[in-house]
Amino acid sequence: MVGAFDFTPAIPLLPFAAFLVAMLVGHFAPRLLPKGGAIPGILATAGSLLLSIWTFLTVSGGSYHAQDIYTWVVGQNTFSLHFGILVDPLSAMMLVIVSLVAVLVHVFSLGYMNDEGETGLPRYYAGLGLFTFSMLAFVVADNLLMAFMFFELVGLCSYLLIGFHFREPGPPSAAKKAFLVTRFGDYFFLIGVVGILATFGTARFVAVGDGVHSFPHLAEQALAAAGGEGTMPEHVAHFLDVIGMNAETWFAILGLLVLGGVVGKSAQFPLHTWLPDAMEGPTPVSALIHAATMVAAGVYLVARMYGFYALLPTVLAIIALVGGFTALFAASMGVVKDELKQVLAYSTISQYGYMMLGLGTGGYIAATFHLMTHAFFKALLFLGAGSVIIAMHHNEDMWDMGGLREKMPVTYYTFLSGSLALAGIVPFSGFWSKDEILYEALIYGAGDSPILLAAYAMGLLAVFFTGFYTFRMVFLTFHGEPRSDTARDPHGVRWNVKLPLVVLGILAATVGLVNMTPVAELTGLHIEYLHQWLVIPEASDFAALGYDNYHHLLEQFAGYHAADIGPLAPGAVSLALALGGAGLAWVLYNVDSPTEHTEKLGGVKTVLYNNYYQDEYQVWLAQGVTLPLARAADTFDQGIVDGVVNGVSSVSLFAGSRVKRIQDGLVTHYAALLTLGLVVLLVAFGLLEGWF
Amino acid sequence: MLIEALIAVTLVSAFVVMLAPDEVAGKLAFALSLLPVAGSLWMFGQFDASGNALFESGNLAFETTARWISVGPYALNWHVGLDGISMPLVVLSTLLTSLAIVSAWTPIQERQSQFYSLMLFMLASLLGVFTALDFFVWFVFWEFVLVPMYFLIGIWGGPRRKYAAIKFFVYTNVASLVMFIGFVALVFALPVQTMDLPAIAAALDAGNFQTTYGLGAETLKVVAFFAMFLGFAVKVPLVPMHTWLPDAHVQAPTPASVMLAGVLLKMGTYALLRFNFTMLPGVARDYAVLIAIFAVVSVIYGAMLALAQQDLKRIVAYSSVSSMGYVILGLVAYNVYGLGGATFQMVAHGLISGLMFMCVGVIYNVAHTRMVGDLSGIADKMPVTAAVFVAAAFGYMGLPLMAGFAGELFIFLGGFSATFPYAQLFTALAMFGIVVVAGYLLFAMQRVLFGPFSADTDYDIVPAAPHDAAAIVVLVLLVVVLGTVPEVFYGMIQDAVNPMVDSLPEATAFLTGGEL
Repeated sequence: MVGAFDFTPAIPLLPFAAFLVAMLVGHFAPRLLPKGGAIPGILATAGSLLLSIWTFLTVSGGSYHAQDIYTWVVGQNTFSLHFGILVDPLSAMMLVIVSLVAVLVHVFSLGYMNDEGETGLPRYYAGLGLFTFSMLAFVVADNLLMAFMFFELVGLCSYLLIGFHFREPGPPSAAKKAFLVTRFGDYFFLIGVVGILATFGTARFVAVGDGVHSFPHLAEQALAAAGGEGTMPEHVAHFLDVIGMNAETWFAILGLLVLGGVVGKSAQFPLHTWLPDAMEGPTPVSALIHAATMVAAGVYLVARMYGFYALLPTVLAIIALVGGFTALFAASMGVVKDELKQVLAYSTISQYGYMMLGLGTGGYIAATFHLMTHAFFKALLFLGAGSVIIAMHHNEDMWDMGGLREKMPVTYYTFLSGSLALAGIVPFSGFWSKDEILYEALIYGAGDSPILLAAYAMGLLAVFFTGFYTFRMVFLTFHGEPRSDTARDPHGVRWNVKLPLVVLGILAATVGLVNMTPVAELTGLHIEYLHQWLVIPEASDFAALGYDNYHHLLEQFAGYHAADIGPLAPGAVSLALALGGAGLAWVLYNVDSPTEHTEKLGGVKTVLYNNYYQDEYQVWLAQGVTLPLARAADTFDQGIVDGVVNGVSSVSLFAGSRVKRIQDGLVTHYAALLTLGLVVLLVAFGLLEGWF
Repeated sequence: MLIEALIAVTLVSAFVVMLAPDEVAGKLAFALSLLPVAGSLWMFGQFDASGNALFESGNLAFETTARWISVGPYALNWHVGLDGISMPLVVLSTLLTSLAIVSAWTPIQERQSQFYSLMLFMLASLLGVFTALDFFVWFVFWEFVLVPMYFLIGIWGGPRRKYAAIKFFVYTNVASLVMFIGFVALVFALPVQTMDLPAIAAALDAGNFQTTYGLGAETLKVVAFFAMFLGFAVKVPLVPMHTWLPDAHVQAPTPASVMLAGVLLKMGTYALLRFNFTMLPGVARDYAVLIAIFAVVSVIYGAMLALAQQDLKRIVAYSSVSSMGYVILGLVAYNVYGLGGATFQMVAHGLISGLMFMCVGVIYNVAHTRMVGDLSGIADKMPVTAAVFVAAAFGYMGLPLMAGFAGELFIFLGGFSATFPYAQLFTALAMFGIVVVAGYLLFAMQRVLFGPFSADTDYDIVPAAPHDAAAIVVLVLLVVVLGTVPEVFYGMIQDAVNPMVDSLPEATAFLTGGEL
């Protein structure tokens, strides 16, 4: 029988076909390409969406799927490397999210790119197609190496799309920075991938079928054996012997190395600096990058291999701290930004910080939940911002806006829905997911993990900032009196802009209802659908990817124990903070003619405006340290290394030219030299042989 | 007799082209160069060898042996054949020569028949280097490769061509001498009456030395190993023996650069693999740390030098130093992924560096400058070239599904599962090269290809000639195919390196095969 899983490979391949069409037809016969490639792109991603939904429904029927598609390298007397697909609740959910956002971004691009008369559209849609393909293939990857490979392709696509307007100076520079900073993270990630393959001989996330193993499970066995239960897998023992480390330390190092890639792509401190610059890309691309693809890839990867991270309490604590710190750090910078997309950029960094916080504190479901809700409301906010930018003739400064509420009601109300979700106001989606992350952090932190409590405190504080900058943005953009001519007479937007906004606006408002933990607690109803979705029955081959297994691993290996705290009081605290932040924004900015209040921050303002000088020190590392070092190496190379080579040749030439003089053609000189030589020889032999 | 036919056809083609008038020489050379391409591809299709050429268990493809001459007690025989290591390099040589000939059509406007003839002479000698299995035959071809390259640089090169050509010739020739002495000394110490490489390898494996010049057998092996290592390292080139390379590349005309980076450098690593690492694995193992240090220094130092350059060609030249360091790391790892990856990387880097040089050449043909500061935003004027340049640069950075990633990944996997001391640390350090390479190529692309258009040159920036664009597009497609289906070569490569791995079981951290 033909089932959804037979078509799963087509989910990524359809956008790839759209990429090929846009590229080839766009190059050889651009006139034949409808809407510059938008139509093939929309058809392909819509096809992916339908197949994803079918896959999703099949998974909800309780059947999962793992299949090797293509053996990339057939190892002879060593391990093989392959591509395969893995469809489980996590990847099925992500497939739907990615393909849905991709379709909407394509439709929106009709309004943002085609209607605005951009040139180079085939290149744009080819990039979008390749981007969607890479991300979907990353999502279904059944092993870490394949995930890495498509992770890198995602990076390439972001480079191409951020730098889309390559004739201007800014975008190419931003594209370069995005690739370079994430490449720095991927350096560690690649060491981690290579290390995992070398240690375990496999990079599979889950072992389904005979004769295959998965690295999280082998790691679990090895750690259990180190603790005295069972036996250590032979090759793992051998490798640990070679490097002379114990299992716990080495696995923690591997986990941290892979985390390097996550920190880079998901823009966590200290590799977050590329993301605000990436706003140079066209706004629909920003929506795609931030909501569903590149930045999401990092967090998704941690969730994907959670069976490995759940074994490593040290790494979990670092994930939680990095996440909590990033959430607060980025939120504080979002407070002073003047440009609409900049506020959203810092909010993205901050929100992914929350997801990392959730994963680090054992809140696997909560983090996955937030990944989903954030995908919708952040895509919505970026597309809403794109709508505003069209209306404002590509002016992004919020101080030139104001009063757009009356002029563009669809954009306003959908944007408001997204903002309420971002700020975490009940009952919008972001509230439920963010609240759950904080709740998990609290209960596991209170269960004797003070480090997690510190991460929790940072995450909680960030809620206030989030509420503030979100509504500062809303009020400055949409409320009050128009502060410029364009704001008084904005450019209209068409259905292709409004439709994606409406779809996402509804989702941002409602999607949180799938996992209302506090309500479930209060009423005793079984309405935590996402929770149930992510649980895999123990009898299944895929049980290792289920929440129950992660929960068990967290308890057994990471020593995570939940304290008995109800969800209501913590939820109320975070809601109160969000409302407090929003309320402060209301007081300061919801007036007819708002003024800048940032001066009141004093010296702090300068620090925030300059993003804590993070960019400066990274630029200094590149241009102030590495480049002079390279130049010094070059001077050394030209002067010393090559100097020696030229010196040898000069000495030879010089010696040759001097020795040449002996051959002057005078027989008497030759005779004298002969005699001299004989004497020297005689004396030498005489001394050595003892004739004297 | 296929190998002989292949070399003979190439040689005859070289003579034909030499006699042809200048106006048709380029087209004729390309058409004739397709014969060795077809021949090597046909041989690739018929390839049925198994095992390693230097092992008795090895089963060679297209092998021929013929008595030639005797020198004293030593029989010098014509002995050629292919195994899984040499076959891919033969295909690489023929393909790259054809494409390099196309890339010469635009820039080479003087003494064309001589130019193309020398290109084909070089291919003939390269085919000899990769197929010969008798030391004497091999050495003749090895030395003969230098001659056409010397003239290609010395006649058609840039302003300092004489200096570069002589430096290239003398440096590598002196190195060859050291290598020759080292190897011959080793052979004279063995009870063999031949210069046949498999026989010598077998004798070394048996370890019966007749004489060791009063050194002790182990010491002799070490001395011979390092004499050969030095000789080959100049060719690779390994830091600090690399300084001839940037001069040669910058002065050489584009097609010669393509051949130099694409194939000639691989002679060094191929010889290291065949001689040092196959015949004296014990020494390679004992000095693994030292060799790994050379490899890591080459990778990082070479990449840092590339970062400091302003001339696109110098950037690519130094990055070759960096990439070839990876090959050495793979060799020293001495397991399937290491040795196989090193061999694969020779082919992959051959294609990608050839591609990079051709891209730079296409820009130079149009702009007549290669300096990063002179050009800006030329993607607007040369869209196809810019697109291929971006693809090539990402290929060089190791983008997955392109050949360079596969080669580097295999080497990293090999390095990480090697058992010599600190192998993992060395590998991790060398891997930092992937960040630096991204740095200098991204900077170069941002400046040259993107941003507002400006060109500090007297020439109009116009799209590349169709044949130039076609050549780089074909090459970039080959890079993608090889990265997507590495098994094309990697299966036979693994088969050929496995006997080596078996000869040194302590070098690999893995005990079992298959997917673990």
